[in-house]
Amino acid sequence: MSRFVARRVISMLFVLFAVSVITFLIFNVIPGNDPAVRMAGKQPTVEQIEAIRQEWGFDESIIVQYGTTMEKLFTGNMISYTTQLDVVNEIWKGLPRTLSLAIGAAVIWMLFGVGLGLYTAMRAGKVSDRLLTVLALVGISMPVFWIGALMNHYLGFELSQTLGFELFPNGGYVEFAESPLEWLHHLILPWTALSILFIGLYSRVLRGNILDTINEDYVRTARAKGLSERQVLLKHVLRNSMIPIVTLWGLDFAVVIGGGAILTETVFNLQGVGQYAADAIGQLDQPPILAVTMFGAFFVVFFNTIVDVVYAALDPRIRLESGDTA
Amino acid sequence: MSLKVDGPGRRSRLLATLAALALASSATLAACGDDDDDGSGGATAEGGEITISQSSQPDYLDPALSYTVNGWEPMWLVYTPLLTYAHEEGTAGAELIPGLAEDLPEVSEDGLTYTLTLRDGLTYSDGTDVVASDFERTIQRVLNLESGGAPFYQVIEGAEDYLAGNDPEADISGIETDDESGEITITLTEADSSFANVLAMNFAGLVPGDTEFKNLTESPPPGVGTYEITESVPNRQFVMERVDGFADLGLEIPEASIDTITTQIIKNPQQSTQDVLNGELDYQQDPPPADLKPTVIEQADDRYEEFTTSSTYYFFMNHDVAPFDDPLVREAVNYGVDKPALARLFAGELAPGCSFLPPGMPGYDEAFDTTECPYGDPTQPPDIAKAQDLLKQAGADGTAVTVYGNTDDPTPAVTQAYADMLNEIGLDAEVELLDGGVYFQTVGNAKTEAQTGFTNWFQDFPHPLNFYFLVDGDTIQPTNNQNFGNVNDPKINDTIDELSLETDLEAVADQWAELDRYLIEPPQSSIVPYGHRKLATFVSERIDFESIIQHPVYQNDYSSFALKEGEE
Amino acid sequence: MAPDDVITATAGDLLGAPGHHAEGDPEDAAVVGGSPLRLAARRLRRDRGALAFGVIFLLLVAACLAAPLWANEVAHTTVSQNHLTDTVEQDGEQVNVVGFDGVPIGPTWEGEFFLGADQNGRDNMVRLLYGGRNSLLIGVIAALITTLLGVLIGVLAGYFRGWTDAVISRGMDILWAFPVILLGIALGTSLALGGLQLGPISISGDSLAIPIMVISVVYIPYLARPIRGQVLALREKEFVEAARAQGMGSWRIMRSEILPNISSTLLVFFPLLFANAILLEAALSFLGAGVRPPNPSWGTMISEGVDRIVTAPYLAIVPGAMLVLTVLALNVFGDGIRDALDPRAKIKAKG
Repeated sequence: MSRFVARRVISMLFVLFAVSVITFLIFNVIPGNDPAVRMAGKQPTVEQIEAIRQEWGFDESIIVQYGTTMEKLFTGNMISYTTQLDVVNEIWKGLPRTLSLAIGAAVIWMLFGVGLGLYTAMRAGKVSDRLLTVLALVGISMPVFWIGALMNHYLGFELSQTLGFELFPNGGYVEFAESPLEWLHHLILPWTALSILFIGLYSRVLRGNILDTINEDYVRTARAKGLSERQVLLKHVLRNSMIPIVTLWGLDFAVVIGGGAILTETVFNLQGVGQYAADAIGQLDQPPILAVTMFGAFFVVFFNTIVDVVYAALDPRIRLESGDTA
Repeated sequence: MSLKVDGPGRRSRLLATLAALALASSATLAACGDDDDDGSGGATAEGGEITISQSSQPDYLDPALSYTVNGWEPMWLVYTPLLTYAHEEGTAGAELIPGLAEDLPEVSEDGLTYTLTLRDGLTYSDGTDVVASDFERTIQRVLNLESGGAPFYQVIEGAEDYLAGNDPEADISGIETDDESGEITITLTEADSSFANVLAMNFAGLVPGDTEFKNLTESPPPGVGTYEITESVPNRQFVMERVDGFADLGLEIPEASIDTITTQIIKNPQQSTQDVLNGELDYQQDPPPADLKPTVIEQADDRYEEFTTSSTYYFFMNHDVAPFDDPLVREAVNYGVDKPALARLFAGELAPGCSFLPPGMPGYDEAFDTTECPYGDPTQPPDIAKAQDLLKQAGADGTAVTVYGNTDDPTPAVTQAYADMLNEIGLDAEVELLDGGVYFQTVGNAKTEAQTGFTNWFQDFPHPLNFYFLVDGDTIQPTNNQNFGNVNDPKINDTIDELSLETDLEAVADQWAELDRYLIEPPQSSIVPYGHRKLATFVSERIDFESIIQHPVYQNDYSSFALKEGEE
Repeated sequence: MAPDDVITATAGDLLGAPGHHAEGDPEDAAVVGGSPLRLAARRLRRDRGALAFGVIFLLLVAACLAAPLWANEVAHTTVSQNHLTDTVEQDGEQVNVVGFDGVPIGPTWEGEFFLGADQNGRDNMVRLLYGGRNSLLIGVIAALITTLLGVLIGVLAGYFRGWTDAVISRGMDILWAFPVILLGIALGTSLALGGLQLGPISISGDSLAIPIMVISVVYIPYLARPIRGQVLALREKEFVEAARAQGMGSWRIMRSEILPNISSTLLVFFPLLFANAILLEAALSFLGAGVRPPNPSWGTMISEGVDRIVTAPYLAIVPGAMLVLTVLALNVFGDGIRDALDPRAKIKAKG
């Protein structure tokens, strides 16, 4: 076990390093404009540009530049070109909001996705199944920023105008410490918008898995042994069908926190980590985008490693055959 | 996405506004509700707390560095310079009054020496005494931190040497202070009649003599003002609290009414507008976006008002590069630009105009800006036929032109529309958009040889020189040029020099107006102005709308905000 | 973000869940030749739902390709022409296309300004069709590139194993670590700044080639991994061994034995890749890191429309609805293909 963990950790570190290099290259090798001019602000003098060039080492070799960038990032010295604020600090401030969105949505989509998947599997072939499958497909096909914007406007703004009171707030985020009730109130619509896609997806996957396993031999054996349909369902079918779902859920959760919620955050104005990067896009402000990209990828790699280790601890087979999985 | 009124990064990103002038602007104002001019409202309550919003973090919460309205609007009330402006609307608000100084400065005959005396018994919000040498530290910070405002103070003797040296604590020879008597003597390298206004800028808001030489946005220094900044969380919010005992200092500045003002950074203007509509926010600094204006006018007419700012939006034409080196071509363009069309791209928040000097500026001539425009009434469609004719006369038909613009909304659409107009009169125009962060450096670089492009200017202070340096042949430089069109007319240059020596603005206002006419009319046709930006005051129902003072330089005066009686 | 799971999950039914080895299914299609594919085609013809959506998709494509036709013949304008001060006749009155306060005209249901105008005075229907053309173009080319590169990489890794596999798999791992949308933004904004210089070829930051490249790169691991898994399994089959025994070179084997057998996988993946590419392009354009103005795309139209959602909601609603319809059609059709290729699908459908 410890060898497995060690191998995984080394693999993780290697990937993290490669991620940092690639992110750095994306931002420093590709762009054609002189980064020093961009950083110098609105009225740069030749001296200012030179000073920045030296401070950031733009005249140094690529390797040294990489070192400087990483150092600045990890010591909290990387500042945005436009707001002059420390990038890491801003990410830190946005993290609770992104976490609130991600965790809440993850719980919701898991519950509803599994529920819907079970329901449609049990009624496979019937009209309700077909209808719900179509709905699920529609859910998968919807751009989250579009449905989110529409929800925010029609349910948040227009509805409140019609009703005369605010049933749903129109965007924004309230700190939990300030008012737990408002915190919840403001997250209902974002959670829903973000979950729609996943619910559609998970329900279909689960349905497929259930229908696959329900015809497997060992299930037939269990039935022959006299177990009730319900017991068969719960003990064997569901448990096996859920494994890929849980894997998927882990992957998705990591990606959503890592930055996948950027669209939802922007549309509902939650000012989380994702929106921080999105705001920087308009200005082509590189440091926040670089930092958020690295943060996102790091989180995904880190989280997946932990999940792998946990799985290995639970299922010895994985440890043994880990030799040649990609 | 949203209209960034702060606009692309020019030297002056400062928004200054001018409210309804009794004389001038009924034509350019969209009157939505009346406003008392003297700031005395109905029954109001003392004290209270309000929450307001800005759509982006102030560039800095440090008086030496901030150069945007986001910073100036709040910090005007926190850091008082030696001189300041009267807290009044209209031209009254453009009047200089003593701030921390006892009186307006004594200026020597040759215009090179300014003498002021610091008032007695002043203290900062943290209790420290204010002494005359604090002024030198204040200016040192502006220069040392390479503030956007530094150029204004480089006219002080010794400023260049200070900048060249590396010691932040080095003495600036042109500033002499005496803590005992409180006397401050400033010597300039050349006479500049706008220097008094420069002394009144936020950059010169006094801070204690031991204030550090670094950006203090996260923990702003103490100052002398009716408010102090007690909390600063960049990109989230900052809090201002009323200073007890400010009235006792005996300044000519009124004390504020509201106890606590919390400014939140709400990036989405649609959201902040909706919040002000339903009372979750008390005031938003940015105007409501075009999308919500009908709703605002419908539901909140009594607490919403638009006003025209002291700004001019224009296209520069490069006098050194074909085809705009030909005055006939420049004239043609002026005839061909469709100003009402451009105004639509600003969602109507642009008052079509013809003059370079904006409303509220001494020397502004409303008739010239509207009905007496040499190219036709700016609110009417242009005379395309005449423009095409002139172009053919000049033989410039079909000339290739690159039109420069930046990516800050709504500039791309404006630039494209302008290029379309040039095409219609017979040129062959294409658009080149640059990122907002590099735009002005690029078009201000002689090597670019930019033929024509987008630009604008908002006043830094109500003095025509603040606009005219943009068309002064003497300010042309190979890089970081602000005179993008390389306008170099000897008569203009000489008149500017002449008028800049006059310290009595009112007396020479007519001459400035004449100069403006000369600049715009054919055959000079130096630039293509098309209008002046409009902004708005929009508050919640809690606030007494009548008592709000719309200041020509600092927009909405927070110290005039008061809750209605009975509001908590 | 999650749309990628659509690929792994729905196609995963065919190939096994992500991260695990490919299981039994390829055997069904493993026999060289076309008969399983012909069987699948027959099954697909009987799947009326999938066919219907396939037709819808083709209609959408046709409409978007006809954009210039509509622009010239019906709307009498171009995609970028603004009609800021023009007027249109409505109910006998001349109405401004864009009002003085900047509010554009709504749908007229006539030839000109059929779906109204946007805030720059441009014809919305024309932009919708041209935008659709761009979105579809970017989607399909990106999907094709992803398929090409994904197959190449996956086959190389799966066939040659050893160091090739190790290097390629590591590369895929690294690419996989980036959340799709962040990687898209990072690449998109970097390239938008200065364009790209590939030796003698210089691509400007405004070109459509940029989002195409970004999107295709980002999705490569999603195809390469399953392909690799399949090839790893295929490699051990008898007919491959037989071919090797006969002395066939590696490349020939890959061409004649391996490729035909992964074709069904590709058939399933392609519509999904296409759909996801369209969604990703919309998302990137919405954020400003994809298609650059003034080029229209459904994503940029939604982004501009959201700014006008109170006074002109149709500006945001219509492009979004088109997106949903297009992606839905692709998803349903892709589902149909997968069901047709997977013989057990019938059982699942009937329950």
